[in-house]
Amino acid sequence: MRLRRLVIATHRDVGYFFAGLTVLYAISGIAVNHVEDWNPNYVLRTETRDLGQLQDGDRNQVADEVLRRMEIAEEPKSVVRMSPNLIKVFLDGRTITVTLPEGRVYDELARRRGGFFELNYLHLNHGKGFWTWFADLYAAGLLVLACTGIFIISGKKGLGGRGLWLLLAGLSVPVIYLLWRL
Amino acid sequence: MKRILVSMAMVVLVAAIVAGGEEAGAVYGDGVTIQDPVPMSRLLGEPETFVGKKVRVDGVITGVCKKRGCWIQVTNPDTGEGIRIKVEDGVIVFPYAAMGEPVSAEGIFEAVALTPEQVAARAARQEQQPASHSHPPGEPCEKGLPGKTGCDVPIQDNTVYLIRGTGAVIHS
Repeated sequence: MRLRRLVIATHRDVGYFFAGLTVLYAISGIAVNHVEDWNPNYVLRTETRDLGQLQDGDRNQVADEVLRRMEIAEEPKSVVRMSPNLIKVFLDGRTITVTLPEGRVYDELARRRGGFFELNYLHLNHGKGFWTWFADLYAAGLLVLACTGIFIISGKKGLGGRGLWLLLAGLSVPVIYLLWRL
Repeated sequence: MKRILVSMAMVVLVAAIVAGGEEAGAVYGDGVTIQDPVPMSRLLGEPETFVGKKVRVDGVITGVCKKRGCWIQVTNPDTGEGIRIKVEDGVIVFPYAAMGEPVSAEGIFEAVALTPEQVAARAARQEQQPASHSHPPGEPCEKGLPGKTGCDVPIQDNTVYLIRGTGAVIHS
């Protein structure tokens, strides 16, 4: 009886502590599961424009002329000649691809997808370092939640009856999937 | 109850102290360990010399895997010669904001030849490229190429040359 009280108290407190992070990870999990269908981290906007004929020459001078015609005052991070007739101008969060001498511009703007970028940063552990340790702690917490959760209720609705069947049903899903796929 | 909370706080604090020292600016993976970079022209001009060897290249990041950050394209800004640095998904993640930044990267140089079927399929795809295709000329987005190269990998003489990246330093 005393042991069950400890199990319930542990499950409750660890559950409260990690509830918020579980929700955040769940949202990010759905977002990155569908990475083939959308970009969960960035919103990309692309636009094609014609700036008119451009004189070829030094890549930095070409970039200056492109930025002048596009009325962009920002200093480029870098300018790269990708091929004899293709120059890329890199700005902060923006890439301008210019074809020469036609002056056709392919303008790509990227901005972080609000909320999702941050959630995915945590969930996919891009930060490493401290977050690796905290994510390990969280994983251990989930283990504690799972192990204590199945012992909260005794009797027919616990492991002595319905609980056991639900436990086996849940376990069978990954096992059957692996047997099917591998 | 208080004891549990204090214990949790202690664990978090210790983890922060232990991990704090590992934070390191713009170093990705193992960083770079080789002193001298191989010029891009030499790497792509005589690839057979470098296949299977660990090499370092320097250049500007002209492409980043938009969704997973699992590759970067490193290009010589003067000549346009470039090489794909492919890393394992999730092991190293390059931020999209690194586009246009100077970088040093290293890893094992690989050459993956396209099969005759892939060459034929590629030629057919290029013929049927829809007008609305969003990539700039010369940069078709191609998936399903050998060796998990990622999208937009340059192909030279029906061979994909790439570096299986072990680390990089982005000099922003």
